[in-house]
Order: sequence, then C-alpha cells, then structure tokens
Amino acid sequence: MNERRLFLKNGLLAMVGVTALSKTPKAEAVAGIKKYGMIIDLNRCTGCQSCVVACKAQNKTVQDKFNTKILTLEDGNYPDSRIVFTPVLCNHCDNPACVPACPAEATFKLPNGIVVTDWDKCQGIGECVKACPYEARFIDQRYKGEMGGKVDKCDFCLNRLEQGLLPACVEACEANARLFGDINAPDGEFSEYLKRTDLKVRKPEKKTNPNIRYVLNRRSRKGGSL
Amino acid sequence: MKKEITNLIESGISITRRSFLKFTAAAAGALAFGVDKAKAAVKWLSPRKVQKSAATQLDKDVKIVHSVCLGCNARCGVRAVVESGKLVKHSGNPYHPYNNRFEPIAYKTPVKETLTLPSPVCGKSQDMPNYAYNPYRIIKPLKRAGERGSAKFELIEWEQMISEIANGGKLFAHLGEDTVYPGVKDLNKDDLIDPSAPELGTVRNGLVFIGGRDQNARKEFSDRFVKDALGSVNRVGHTDICGIGFRMGNHAFTEKQEVEIKADPFSAEYILVFGSNIYEALQPGVNCYAATVAKRHSEDKVKFTIVDPRATHASTHAENWIPIKPGQDGAFAMGLIRWILENERYNKEFLTAPNPKASDKIGHACYINATHLVIADDKHKNNRKFLRMSDLNPAASKEEAIAFVVLSKDNMPAAFDKVEDAVLDAEAMVKDSSGKEIKVKTAFRLMKEGVMEHSIEEYAKLAGVEKSQIEKVAKEFTSYGTRAAVTQYHGAGNYISGTYASYPVAILNALVGSVDRKGGYMKGGGGAAAWNSGLYDLKDFSGKKKLQGPIISREKFAYEKTTEFKKNGYPSKRPWFPFSKGGLCVETMSGIDQQYPYPCKIFISYFFNPIYSIPGGYRYVETLKSREKVPLHVSIDIGINESNIYADYIVPDVTYAEGHYGFLTPHAPALKFTGVRTPTIEPLTGKTADGRPFSEETFFIDIAKAAGLPGFGDNAIKGKDGKMYPLNKAEDFYLRAIANVASGAKVPEASQEEIEFVEKYPAARHKDMLSESEWKQVSYVLARGGVFDKRYEDVFDGEKHKFGLKRVVLYNEELATTKNSISGEYFSGTLKYITPTTPKGRVIDETDRDYPFYLISYKMNVHAQSRTVWHNWSMEVFPTNFVEVNEKDAKETGLKTGDKVRLVSKSSPNGITGKVKVTKLVRQGVLGLSHHYGHTQLGAVSVPVKNAKTVFLGGKKVVDKKGRLIPNPRYGTGASMNYVARLDEDFANTPMVDVVGGIPDFSSTRVKIVKL
Repeated sequence: MNERRLFLKNGLLAMVGVTALSKTPKAEAVAGIKKYGMIIDLNRCTGCQSCVVACKAQNKTVQDKFNTKILTLEDGNYPDSRIVFTPVLCNHCDNPACVPACPAEATFKLPNGIVVTDWDKCQGIGECVKACPYEARFIDQRYKGEMGGKVDKCDFCLNRLEQGLLPACVEACEANARLFGDINAPDGEFSEYLKRTDLKVRKPEKKTNPNIRYVLNRRSRKGGSL
Repeated sequence: MKKEITNLIESGISITRRSFLKFTAAAAGALAFGVDKAKAAVKWLSPRKVQKSAATQLDKDVKIVHSVCLGCNARCGVRAVVESGKLVKHSGNPYHPYNNRFEPIAYKTPVKETLTLPSPVCGKSQDMPNYAYNPYRIIKPLKRAGERGSAKFELIEWEQMISEIANGGKLFAHLGEDTVYPGVKDLNKDDLIDPSAPELGTVRNGLVFIGGRDQNARKEFSDRFVKDALGSVNRVGHTDICGIGFRMGNHAFTEKQEVEIKADPFSAEYILVFGSNIYEALQPGVNCYAATVAKRHSEDKVKFTIVDPRATHASTHAENWIPIKPGQDGAFAMGLIRWILENERYNKEFLTAPNPKASDKIGHACYINATHLVIADDKHKNNRKFLRMSDLNPAASKEEAIAFVVLSKDNMPAAFDKVEDAVLDAEAMVKDSSGKEIKVKTAFRLMKEGVMEHSIEEYAKLAGVEKSQIEKVAKEFTSYGTRAAVTQYHGAGNYISGTYASYPVAILNALVGSVDRKGGYMKGGGGAAAWNSGLYDLKDFSGKKKLQGPIISREKFAYEKTTEFKKNGYPSKRPWFPFSKGGLCVETMSGIDQQYPYPCKIFISYFFNPIYSIPGGYRYVETLKSREKVPLHVSIDIGINESNIYADYIVPDVTYAEGHYGFLTPHAPALKFTGVRTPTIEPLTGKTADGRPFSEETFFIDIAKAAGLPGFGDNAIKGKDGKMYPLNKAEDFYLRAIANVASGAKVPEASQEEIEFVEKYPAARHKDMLSESEWKQVSYVLARGGVFDKRYEDVFDGEKHKFGLKRVVLYNEELATTKNSISGEYFSGTLKYITPTTPKGRVIDETDRDYPFYLISYKMNVHAQSRTVWHNWSMEVFPTNFVEVNEKDAKETGLKTGDKVRLVSKSSPNGITGKVKVTKLVRQGVLGLSHHYGHTQLGAVSVPVKNAKTVFLGGKKVVDKKGRLIPNPRYGTGASMNYVARLDEDFANTPMVDVVGGIPDFSSTRVKIVKL
C-alpha cells in the first residue's frame, strides 16, 4: 500500500507548467510528467544563508527548525585550511525512506517528484523523521496531531511553483549555486549541468535515489559535506 | 484546458492552491484520471496552508514596492511584498545591478513583465519584517524619569518634548535636579566659545550630532538642521568605525579624491583581498560582489587570494589563504612591492607616463606621479614639496609656474606635461635660474627608499608569514596584466598606524597599472542625476549659516592654526587630524569626554550606539552619565540600546521600511546609477496632532520652528519656477528630490499602468505637491526603484573607466607637509613601514606581552551593525557567537569547543565571557569573535519604562500584567570584542586611535584566556 501510494496520487500537479524559471522565460507547452530536481554547485555557494532565511520568510517554519540549511566543513589542515559549504534540503528521493515509514500514510510523493506531508493525516508519530537519512524532516510542535506535533519538510515551495515562481531558496541564491528545473525536460543552465558526469548525491549507499545533486567544491579535499 | 491553466499562470493572476486544485479537480483532473481519482488526489492538507506561508508578488491583493535596502550600507534593491498593509517579504529588485550580478533586466522593461523574474537579495534584507515589526521598537517619545542609565523613561507628549528641547530650562526639576539644561535656542547665537581662541568658532558648535545609519539624503536633511540652520560644524558620521583605515590609504593614493576603490568583480582575473570580508560583508554586498566572484570562480574566470588573520567564508573558493598577523597588512604589501621592484614586474609604461595625455595614449584613464621630482633638500624652502617650474625659474609664467617637473630621457628637467616618457627611478641635482643646485628625487625613488628599508624576509617576519608566500602572491598578482587588482576593506588598516598599511596596499594596483581599467582597481561611476538641485533647490535657503571652527574630533583642521599651539606648541592635548578623511565618531566622543577643544552642550545621537559599536566604547559610559560633559542628550532611534539608556530624551524613529528616503549611488567599482528608497509601508510610530509620523525629520522640522531657525516651515524651498515651497513634512523635501532625479536623468513619463502601480506606494499619498508631468516621471523612477539606465559596458571607453580617477600618487605632498600634532614631526609622504604605534609611541605588542592572544572581530553574512539581533530568522541560524580558537592553540591551552572562557585585556580586567569554538579557520595566536552579539539592551533585558504597553510596538505581547517589559534573552547571547578592547592610557584612557587619520583600532587588542 505504501509503495503504491507513491504513484497513486498522480494528480494534477503534474500538469502545472512551471514557467519563468529562467531569466528569459519562454512559453513552454505543458507536456508529459514533470520531475523536479535541483543541482547545487558548491563552487558557487558562498555560504551566505540567504536561501535559509528566504525559506524561513516564505514558509514560516517553526522556530529553530529548517527546511533547508547549510552544512559547513573545515577542510584541510591549518594553515592550508578552508571552509566548505553544502546546502542541504529534502532530496525528494525517487525511493524515499520516509514514505513507507509513515504508519498514518500521511506522506507521499507527488507525480512531479515532490515528497509532501498531508497534515490532515499526519499525527506527529515521527517515524518518517527517524527514517529519513538526511535529517530533512522535523516536528512542528505549534500544531497538534494525536501523537505530538505535525511533521514538516521542504516541498520545493509548491505554492510558488504553481504561480510560475522558483522555490524561495532558489530565487534567493545570489550566485546561482542552486539550479532548479524539470529533470524530464531540462532547460537553460540546469540542462547544461544535468549533462555533467561529475554530479554527486548524498549518501548513495542508502539507495534512496535523491533528486538533489551536487557539483563538489573543486578547491576542497573532501569536496563537501555529502 | 491545459493551455488555460498555463495561460492563467503566465498571466500572473493569483491562484491559491485551493482554487487551483478545485479548478483542476473539476476539469483537468476529470479529463486525465476520471473524477473520483482526481478528487482523491487533491484531498491533502499542505503545511503551508496551516502555517500561512508568506504571500508572493503574484498573489491577489498584494502591493509591490521597489525600493532600496538598508539592512547594511551596501544599497541593494528590494522588491517588497506588502499584504494588507503589512510587509511580508523582500526579494531583490530586477532592475538593480546589485541584485543581478551587474546584469539587471533592461531599464525600459515594463514593470509587469518583471514580477515573475527571480531576483535575489541577502538574508539581512529578507529578515526585514522581523526588524520593522520588532516588538521592542519604541513608537512614542520618551523622557528620562530617573538617573541617567537607570533606563527609567516615561512618555512625553511630542509637542511638550519639542518645546523642552528647543527652550531648555530646569527640565528635570521634578526629579530633584536643579540643573538648567541648555536648549537649542541657547546655541542660536554668535557669541564665541572662547574669545581668547576665536578660531574655535561660536557657541553654535556646542550642538554635536553623530549619525549612525545615515545615507543620502537623510544625511543632508540632518546637515540642513545642524550645519545650515543652526550653524554647528559638528554633524559627524561614523566613517572611522565603518572602516577609515583602508580609506586613508586610498585618500593618500588619490590625493583625497576617492576613498572607495575596489577590484572589479565582473572582469578582474585576479583579486588580492586584504582584510575584506568579500563573501560575508562588503559594499556592494554578498548578493552582488560575492555572488559575482563566486559565479565567475565556478567558471574558472577569476582567482583570488585572501590576506586575513581569519579564513573568511571566501576561503571556500580562494586560491590561497595567507593567515597574516593582525595589524600587518602593510608589512605584507611592502614585501610584495619589494619583490615586484626587484624583479621589475611593474608596469613601466604606465609608471613612466608623466601626464594625463601620455597616459591616455597608452590606454589609461588616469596617470601617476611616479616620475615627478620632489625636493629632497633640508635647506630649501619647499623641501618635501614637488619641484615646480617656479622653483627653477621664478619668472615663469603663471600657468607654467605650477607645473610639476620631471627628468626627460636625456636627464634634463622638463615640465611634466611637455614630455611623453620620463625617468622613473632617479636622484639628481637640478639648477635653478640663479645657478643654485637643488637636490631632487623622483616620487618612485622616494617610495622605493621607503620599501627598501626592510628585506622581504623582514617583511615576512613582521607579517607572520613565510617569505615564499610573499613571493608566490607577488608573482601571481603580476601575472594578469591590468586585470589584477586589490580589494581592501575594514581589516586592511583599521588600526593604529593603519594609513601606512593601506597606502602600500593601494599602490600595488598602480604597480600593475590597473587603476580604473576594466578588471582593475576602480572607483564607482557616481549617480544618475543630482537629487538636491534641478527643479527644486534643496541645498540653499535664505539665512543659511556659514560654518566656522574645528569639529570637536579635530578632523580636517591643523593644530598649528590654534591659539593652543601658539601658546604651548607640541604636543597638543589630544591629536589633531588635518589629513584625515574624517567622520571620526570615536574622537568626537573622546572630544566630548575631554571637553576638547571645547565643550559639548547638546548631544544628538542618531541611530548611533557608541558604547556597543566602538572598540573600547565602554569607556563612554562615564561620558554619557556625566551631566557636565553631556549637558543634554537627545537620542533618535528605534529602540533602547546600550547608549541611549543614558539619554535625556529618546525620539522614536521609523525604520527603512517606513522612511529613510534616499538616493543611493553605487559603491566602487564601476557602475553609475541612483537607487531610490521610499517607504514600503506606512509608519509604525505614533503621530503628531497634525498627522505626521514621529521620526527624525519631523523632529528637526519642529525643533527648527520652535527655536526660530531658518530653512524649515513655509517658503523654505525655492523652485526653479521662482516659487517658494514649504518644508513642513519629510516628503516636502524628499518627493521634490525624486522629481529632481527624474527630470535630471531625463527618464520618460510612466505608462498609465505603471502610474497605477506606483500609486499604491505609501509615498504616492503626497503626490499632489508635484505637477502632473513631474509625477509621471517620478512614477517611472519609483516603479523601478531608481534610475538604472546605464549598463556595466556603458561606463567604459574601451578598457578605460569613463568616470574613473584622473590622477594617483606614489608621493603625497600634502601628507608629507603635515605634522604629527603630538611629536611635531612630519608624516612620511610615501611608503614607510610603521609598526602599529599609539600617538604617544607605545607599541602594544611590547607593552601587552603578558596578554598572549590578539582578539579580532568580523562581520557575519546575516548581520550588519548594532541592531541586527532583531533579525529573528538569522538568529535561528546563528543563535550566538563563539570565541574562535585555532586548533593548535586549543591543544596547547587545553581548550575544547563549548568551554566557557573569560577574555581579559590590560584595559578591561573584567573582560567578556564567551564560549569556545575550536577551529582551523583563524590564525594561531589570534582569537576570532564575530560582531553583532553580546547585547545588554534592545529587549535582551527588561527595562523599567513606564507606560510600556504604549511605548513598545509589541504592546501587551511584551508587557506583563504588572506593566513590566518581558525580555527576550535570545537578543542577549554571545559576547562583543568592543567591551574588552584596548584603551589609550596616554589620552585619558579613551579608545585607542591612530595619529594620522584618527583610525579606531580593531586589531591591536591583546587578551588572556581564563577558563571558567
């Protein structure tokens, strides 16, 4: 059932044509099923936190919890040392560990690839929070389910996408380190990046098939905090 | 149906999720999956719906305002989303180059087409709703109701406050104080401060205004009151703590023409970064300078090296991090210069072109005086000055007499403008017309002599780096032709002797010849048009005062002109700073404390928190407490901070969401534009009886009227049409200023659609003061948040910056002929390594040896100056700061991350306490501590303010049942370096400053770590 749920809710958001994602918006016919993803170039990320604050400002997540954050790593040995930034968020995995973990069947994957939580069903059980290998989920205690709060996470700013806007973190990314697009019909710089052979994902051994991919920091020995 | 949905989205019509889903469920869904499945599919409740996520610019019933941010001084654009009158979201302005890495959308693009465009702005700006609506903001005027510093304040009616401050008197008799407080009227007189020292000016100078966050044109508004209407010289900014150190180097380098010069992030191929936090602070800020550099780095188009005691965030992409010893940027730069000279890696063509024409011919917008001859002859009356034709021939024509002299290729003296190529490195004897010999040296030779005083090994040792690091960086820097430049900022020179650290850093750019060339060391291009003249004259008015006397900081005034000098000679009681760039708030505070050179009578602090913001500012607790030193203190601010708890009155002000109209021209480098700030929401402060908001402008207008000062009230502004216009409210001034810009920049009139867009702006409420055609032009500007009609490419003529510097110098004559007012000796006019030394000659490295660690502070990417703890979202990201200890030092001292420690200095035995973070990102022997934290006010603690429910914006949300303010301890976390900074025992224990520029010291404080 849980597995099935991944595909059952093939609704209608698949049909939402996200336009104006690049600076030269062009009318694009809505075709096929969309699959949203992000590529983050650590050679561009300045660690400015603008994405993190933008997400807070847009989504009003509960205090001290984040839908996206930036991991920092002190790389190398002093004095040959540097700081390395890795923005992280929900990976909107093709094989999300959170979905089957939820006994209330509250979390599911939209056909456009976005993993969401239904707050009508979420009881704050927290199994999904534990199941996620990326610590992308947390409990918002301002709202009550039967077992505690409600579970929150990144939804790629679905409400903004519906309006033809980019997710708040992507719009706020000053150096264009966060590239967002439709993996099935990539466009512009996102499409160029998607062709790269050096893209990495976090914790591939978990076999979750993440849809957030990274270009590692070429100056860093470790490359990032994947 | 699909097409219909797409069209809906493209047309920008707002569709809420619910309506959208209903629509699709009913129609499109049925089409694709059948009704039942579709209904099932849409029945889920999004958290965003419950959490009430912020409106976007495409939602129905929202207002969009394009304006300019003031989260810091960087001047980026904002697109503000206002929902039901409430500011809910900031993003960037798509027309503004700073939000678009120098490449904004075309200026003529209709506004409607830009609303879907992504346009970033940094986290500081995005936190604006938390700042503007902060519950600890004060919205009503306050009067002291207890001892100074007791934080006991009570409400006072606006009109009553105006009358008391204008007239003075026994204002606190009800507290048992018999003191007669001075009023503004008492200072509106032409009596001399001291008839025996007339050079000090009149009693008008007794009013001292220090401005914190103050930009054009608010700055000029306060000038109008302080300088023009009352006639006090004392309207002082805060350039010194902002970063006068690196500016002093540029000040010397450009002969006072320009202090903001940086590497061009858009075209430079190599940037050498000195003490400049390019990924976390700077102006242009993180969404411009950092973003441009980072994106170009990802494309391998630019390399950069960081010279800094701390591996700043830019270390993430840097070629090298040189962990330099604090205060030694000059040593490192001098080492680089020595290597460049010895290996002849300098741009000889540029250096030997002796005049503008010759330099222009080889592709430079500016020329350098490297070949100009300087008189190096103790007995000559013009010793230390440039040799001029008049020195050779007293009978030279007036025009010829002032010409500089160079040696032509055949070693003959010649007027600098008569040869194309002159001798660079020489010392010579030249004969004047009487046959008398004069010893001269080229400016280049004098610089070289200064540089050669130490070997590269010695410079490396002073800077605390390896010789090989100097060699490597020097080689890299000279490997990119004129596409290499320096970006220096606060860290490069903001310490004692800093002028001689930042001057060589600036000169590096001259050696590669990149000054004001594309990809080089460039100044900004200036504004699009003047705002204070044109249709309306906002500068002059009848009765405008002439200023006389020195500023209380003694900046830009020679000690030798004073009666004190004639009586006592050297040393002066405190240093004078004739060569300073000025804006010396620290020495103004110390001048107030020492009542030197004359006493302050009324102190107005505007958005200025000296106790918190100045290294060693804790010393001024004593100053502000004293009713003798500060007879009347009026603070204009949005909150109760560490300094204005000592004020007699606090005037509530608006934030930049509600006011702070301004005309924001670019910082260096390159661009030419004028961003226009107007309110995005209506003022949140209280109002006067006639409906004007409590604010700085309303205060000055009303005080001026009550004290009988000119320049305000009816008939205060002269129009080009010969008519007189009133200045009774802020907009009377600022809206006319926008009309000046719009007409000066010759922008077209806005379309009807854009006029309607702008008429939702708060500023539009006042549009009737402008003519219809003026308003149409103004609307064009406001719709776009300013005038941005020049592209990056437009400011260049080939490789030459059209609006660049015309001349730079290796030898500065004015500096060379200025004397140190303490020692009576001349300052060096060219490069010279100087150990950081106090004005009385103390070397802190030696006197404070028992304190083993240097302590440095820095700015973080989500914070600015003293009030950003109100940025609640940023405070979630970084709830506190840490004492950052190098991992090797931690090992030696046994410190671990999380340990609580006290840092003490010679000046502050109680010091500060903080938590340790062990790191690889700070130099060994140096402790890092970010600024912004360690507050004791701004809501961090409760204050006994009466009527708190009415006074604070948060009302009953932050006031308990007994009427006490409920504090937010999140605002009081961490520590501030300024509370432990070194003071100068030779000058009344006031904060330490440099003797040339009055530079406050941010790098010399040494501390001990005491584990708690």
